[in-house]
Order: sequence, then C-alpha cells, then structure tokens
Amino acid sequence: MLIGISLISFFIMHLAPGDITSSEASFNPKASEESRQKLREFYNLDKPVIIQYGLWLKRMVKLDFGNSFASHQRPVLWEKKDNNGNVIKGLIQESLPITLLINLIGIFLIFSISIILGTISAVKQNSIVDRSITFFIFVAFAIPGFWLALLLMYWTGVLNQWLPISGLHSLDYKNFSEIGQFLDLLKHLILPVSISMLSGLAGISLYVRNGMLDVLHQDFITTARSKGLEEKTIIFTHALKNAILPLITIIGLSIPGLIGGSVITESIFAIPGMGKLFYDSVLMRDFPVIMGILTIGSVLTLLGTLIADIGYAWADPRIRKGLVK
Amino acid sequence: MKQIFLLILLLIFLISCSNNNSEVIDYKDNNLSNGGVLINAMSAEPSNLISMIAGDSASSAIASKIFNSLIRYDENLNFTSDIAESWKISKNQKTITFKIKKGLEWSDGVPLTSADVYFTWKLITNPNTRTPYGADYTLVSEAKIPDEHTFIVTYDQNYAPALDTWASLEILPKHILENEDINSTFFSRKPIGSNYYKLGDWISGQQVNLIKSDNGVLGAPHIDKLTSRIIPDTSSQFLELSAGNIDLMNINPIQFKRVFPAKPKLKRRTELYKEMGNGYTYLGFNLNKKPFDDKRVRQAINYAINKEEVIKGVLLGLGEPISSPYKPGTRWNNPSLKPYAYSPKKALSLLKEAGYKMSGNNFLVKEGKALEFEIITNQNKQREMTAVLIQRRLKEIGIKVSIRVIEWASFVNRFIKTGNFDVVVLGWSLSLDPDQYNIWHSSQQGPGQFNFVGYHNEKVDLLLEKGRRELDLDKREKIYHEFSKHLLEDSPIVYLYAGYGLTAVNKRIKGIKMPAPPAGIYHNSYNWYIPKSLRRNEFTDK
Repeated sequence: MLIGISLISFFIMHLAPGDITSSEASFNPKASEESRQKLREFYNLDKPVIIQYGLWLKRMVKLDFGNSFASHQRPVLWEKKDNNGNVIKGLIQESLPITLLINLIGIFLIFSISIILGTISAVKQNSIVDRSITFFIFVAFAIPGFWLALLLMYWTGVLNQWLPISGLHSLDYKNFSEIGQFLDLLKHLILPVSISMLSGLAGISLYVRNGMLDVLHQDFITTARSKGLEEKTIIFTHALKNAILPLITIIGLSIPGLIGGSVITESIFAIPGMGKLFYDSVLMRDFPVIMGILTIGSVLTLLGTLIADIGYAWADPRIRKGLVK
Repeated sequence: MKQIFLLILLLIFLISCSNNNSEVIDYKDNNLSNGGVLINAMSAEPSNLISMIAGDSASSAIASKIFNSLIRYDENLNFTSDIAESWKISKNQKTITFKIKKGLEWSDGVPLTSADVYFTWKLITNPNTRTPYGADYTLVSEAKIPDEHTFIVTYDQNYAPALDTWASLEILPKHILENEDINSTFFSRKPIGSNYYKLGDWISGQQVNLIKSDNGVLGAPHIDKLTSRIIPDTSSQFLELSAGNIDLMNINPIQFKRVFPAKPKLKRRTELYKEMGNGYTYLGFNLNKKPFDDKRVRQAINYAINKEEVIKGVLLGLGEPISSPYKPGTRWNNPSLKPYAYSPKKALSLLKEAGYKMSGNNFLVKEGKALEFEIITNQNKQREMTAVLIQRRLKEIGIKVSIRVIEWASFVNRFIKTGNFDVVVLGWSLSLDPDQYNIWHSSQQGPGQFNFVGYHNEKVDLLLEKGRRELDLDKREKIYHEFSKHLLEDSPIVYLYAGYGLTAVNKRIKGIKMPAPPAGIYHNSYNWYIPKSLRRNEFTDK
C-alpha cells in the first residue's frame, strides 16, 4: 500500500517540469549551464525517474529520509551529528512540533465548541438561537481567513498592542522564565489558532446538530422522557453520547491533517510550520523534502483510518458484536 | 438574541477603548553613540550562509555582513579596498596583484592572510564544490601567494570582468574549512567571518541575529545587534512596521505612494528611501520565429508601447525608462541614447513597410496571416500588469495579443529552454560590470543558456568579445556605449522600465544617506546608528 502511494507521488512530483536547478535565483547569467548540469548529476536528477525512485526506496528501507537539496543538505526528517559534534536539526523535526501544537489546540477547540454549539442548536431547533448559531458558523466558514487575520492583526496588534502580530516568540523571550516563555508562546498562538479554527467550526457543529436531532427523535428518548427523567440527563447522558459517535471517525480521519499546516496562516503569522515547509519545497522542487512529508502523511492516513475503526468498535458495542460474528 | 446583542455591545466597547498612547518621540536627536538594536524583516529564510553555494538573495544579504571580499564597490560603484588594501593590473593586463591589509583577523582571532584567499579560490574552482558561480574563477590560469600579504592571479587571456568577480567572491577561513566538506558543512549555519558583524544565533524560520564584531576588516559598526525577522507575508511586515516592532522593510510602490501618505502618524516616524533598483523589465522577442526576425516589426512594437504609461500604471511612477542594460547615472550607460518614443504612427508605417495591411476588422494582415502572438510571463504581479497594458496598446494598432502566466519552473523548462515562445515579459539585473556576453553573444543560444531570445549581430559579438578583454576603463566605456547603441537599434527586446528599490526605515535609525547614492542605502550600513534616546528600552539594558 505504502509503496503504491509513494510510487504515485514520486511520479506525479516528477511530472512537474523543472528541478532544483531551475529556481528563480539560478536564472542568473553568472551561473553557467554546465554547473547546473553538474548539480543535477550530484543529485542523480539526470537519471530516469524509475531509477531515482529505486534509489529513494533503497534509502527509505533504512528509514533514511535523505537530505534536502535547497537548504544546504539539511536532513529532511531528524537531526544528524557531524564530525565536530555539531547537531544539524532535521527540517521536519523543526517544523512539526509547532504545527502539531497549533492543530491539536485547534482540533480540541473545534470539537469542544462545536459540540456545545451543535447541542444548543439541536435542542432549540428552529429557534432564533439555532438560526443565529448556524448563521454565525457559516459566516465564520465563509470569511476568507487571510483577510480576517490581517484585520485582527491590525486591531489587536497595531491599534491596541494587546497581542503580538506575528512570529512565535518575543525577541527577548530568552530572558523570560520558563512559564513566561510558555505564556509568551501561547500569546503568539491566540490569533493563528483562532483563525485556523473558525473555518472548521461549521462542519463539526452541523454534524453534532444533525446527529443530535436524529437521536432526539428516536424511541428510547421518548421512553426516557416518559419515565420522567430530567431533560438535562436525557440530553447529556443519553442523547449526546449517541450523537457524537460519528465524530470518532472524523477524529481518526483528521489525524493525517495534524501534520499539515495552512500555508496562508503560516505565511501571514510568520510561523515556520509544515505548510510553509511543504509549499516552499514544492516551489524549489526539493524532492527529498516533498517525498518525506508525503510519506509521513500517507503513513498517518493509514494509521488514522485504523485508529478510527478501532475506536468506533471500542465505543459502540453494536459494531463490536458485528465484528465477532 | 440577548446574548448576541451583549456580544455586539462588548465588541463596540472593546473597539472604543483602544488606547491612544501616542507617545511623542522627538526624532531630532542626532547624537552619535554606539549601541542599540536594529530589527528588520526579510521575506525568506537564508538557505545557507556560504554565498558561493547559496545563491538566494536572503542568504547573500546576511552573508555580506559577515564576510569580506578582496575588494568592494563604494557608494559611487567604483572599486575600493576591502581585504585587499590595493591592487595592481600588469601592463599586459593579464596579471592582477592584490596587496592584503596587515593585521587582519577572523572573528575568532586567527589571522586572515593570503592563504585564506588562495584557499577560497581553490575551493570555488574545485569541481566537487556545488557552486553555480565557478566558471569565472576557472579562467585564472595561475594563482600565487609569494607571502602572507600578496595574492597574484594570472589569466591566459585578459579578462575585464575580473575585478568584478573578485569583488563578489567572499573569502572563507582556511583554518576552519580545510578539512570540511563544503557541500554539507555545519559552517553554513555557524560561520566565522571577518566583517563587522558575526552570527549571534539563528532560530530556524524565525530570526537571524547578528552581533557586532570588534575586529572586523572595516572596523566595528555603531549598532550592536542586527535582528532579521523572517516574515514571509509583506502585509504582516507592514503591520509590524506600523506597530513599531520592526525598523526596516522593503516596500512596494503602492505602499510608498498611497499607504504611507494616508497614515500621517506612521509617516511621522518613518523615512522612505528610494534608490535606483538592480534590475529592469523587458519585453523580449523570439528572434528565431516569424515575424520577429524582421527588425521593422520589433521596432514597430517598440514604438507602439507607451513606456511612460507602463511606469505610471505598474510602478505608480516609481521607475525610469532605460535605453541600455546599465544603471542610469553610471559610466556604462550611454547618455546619448534615448528610449523609443511612443508613436503609433511610426509603428504603423514601419509595419506597412514590412508588408502588413489593415484588414476589414481592424487587424494587421500579411499574406493572409494576421499579426498575432502570445506574451508569456511568470507569476509576478508587476509583469502581469505590464503585459496587460502592452496588450491594450498593441490592439490599438491592430496587433492581436494574448497573455499567459506560468509558474516559474515550468516557465523556464517548457518555454525558455525549448525556445517555444513568441514574446516574454521578464527581467534582467542591471549588472555592475558591463560585460553582457552571456546574454547577447550569439554563441550563448544553447538550451539553458541566456541568449534565449536568439539575438545575433556580428558587430555586437565583436564588441562583446573586445569588451571582455579591455581592462582600461575609458576604452571599455566606449566599447559598451557602442554595444548599447546597436542593441537599442536592433531592438531584440523592448526596455520597459527599471523600477526603484523602495525602503521604509524608522526614523530612529540615523546615518542613512539621502538621497541614496548609486550603490543604494545599504552600502554604508556600518555607519548607521541609533541615538540613545531613541532606542527601544527593553533591549538597552544587559
């Protein structure tokens, strides 16, 4: 499965014309065609694609993701030590933590807020509250993220100086205590996380709302009501549990998304995350980095689907029994 | 409903209580003192601080503050001393002797001598070094270091751009790199240099900090620390500048002409600088294709394009028309040449001469074929806008033009390299050395070479060859003035404009020359300073 995915990605990547030697910076009369040809030979780019794939696969078997072309041979995945004991950090190693952090906070917020909003609008179906929630989440979904980001940056950063505008740390953050450094990071993350969260709200809350409506119309809820249970207990213990079951699948499927950042958000907020890394490496035709990210992505997709299935079986006895049969 | 109402009220409250702490800073303080921090923004992260390998502009911007060359350009773009205190060209113009200053040190205290220079030359000419710039240096047939302070290079044939090549080669320390693989060494992220700054720390993707070096070749700078923040988005850079978090950024014509004047508060604390840029934009014909092999057609199109209009429309007037591939105001620029004036009448008469007739539906036709072509360009807003303006002007005289915008790598590989294009809108740099052999000599037309428009003129070939061999500046000047004249007359490309480089700098930074000299505002950045009263307080202690 993985070999198939990687083979297809490798060929698609090479379908795009150009390679590392055709970047805009190398379109310079001082750089001769011979030296570019030499570079191509160094990187084996002059060989047929299938042989290049073979070479790549040979390295991958040893879990060696190789070195980036564009950034002076930095390792793609994980740090390496040179003879003098200098540690060269991997590109993915440096970009991944911040992207993971943003996405984890983002997903956590999306799910908690969506569950609340979805439940409220299901319970008060067709009321003005329901309508305004739906209106709000759709507006949030439809607003172009970069535009809102710039407005918020201007308002909170330039006019009022409440929040930092861009970057991950204050310039003097090294003088802060550890807690101070962490708070500083959180402060820098407020805007990027909110922006990347807003567009996600719509889908999940509608899921919860519709799931909830379905459940609320089922017989066992009517039974519960006729038993005289409190409305609160009915909604939170009986209905909600059933309504959020499908979310497990969604969480599982969003695992691969955890490592992908948004290029636009990352560029605007000057966050060196995975989205920017991937985008830049595509523009530079930095093949080892592209393949590295794609491989990790496909492994995570496969894992995510598996985890979703297992999680679903764990949470829902009906499916577990089906499996046993 | 109530909640929403409350929410709106809260929002209004929040907006209205924006604090108006308009601290009045007096920017008149001009007292020179050492210290302070300058924070600037750059759009891309340097890939590598060894500039012979890196090649991107972000890298060279940082590396040039850490390393020195043998010689450098002064503010009027003449050569001046850097590591070498003097240089002498032999009578037969084949040997250059550099005298290296005495008592120079690398920032780690090790002496800098001719051995380092020789080592660097060896390195860049080594076939295993992955540099695109080696070709110029392999022309040296012999390099000698008779003593610690002398470096002598001899060329087989005299090579006029030699001095320029030595001004762009940054000298690397032998004692560190001797046993390293230059292609993967950690030195590229932790360099030891000889210039007025040294690398403090480099936080990947976020910032590069340079701190002043007291034993630099050009002495110590006034400003203690240079922080370059990596902010890819220019709007974000602009917001940071407005908030006073950064001191310096490159801006675009719209920001220069429209945004800054509309913000008096920001304008009060920012100085805007304008300098001749380093490149020009042109419309290039594929001379191997009909009808562009006909000089009259090329000239007609040149006459039909209104360059003033393009400069006004695309650059908001922040650019100049040019008539040779050299910076206006430098000696290589031939002042007697004038750009083709806008004249649709002349264009039409030239086209009639070339055999075109106006057809019934207002298009020019020759032998049953309409005069139509496609302009291609890469994803660059200014070039796209330029193409649109040209399209309109050409339509007026009956030429049908379509426009296609292509991503860079595809653009180069599928169209430029294969010669599969009609007309391009592209840019070339206004190089400091007048040698344009690689771009205009008829031998440079192979795939991947730079005469991709296919220009061939024997007179020009001869001039270009002569110009490369002539080290006498006055004679050289005459050669290139002649070359520019032929180039303009033949019109293989239409010079559109040379845009200004625009920079916004916080007024706390003093010592910047205004108006900018030909070399631009950065050339004296070691003389910039920040008066004590204007420094950011959070950085002054420590």
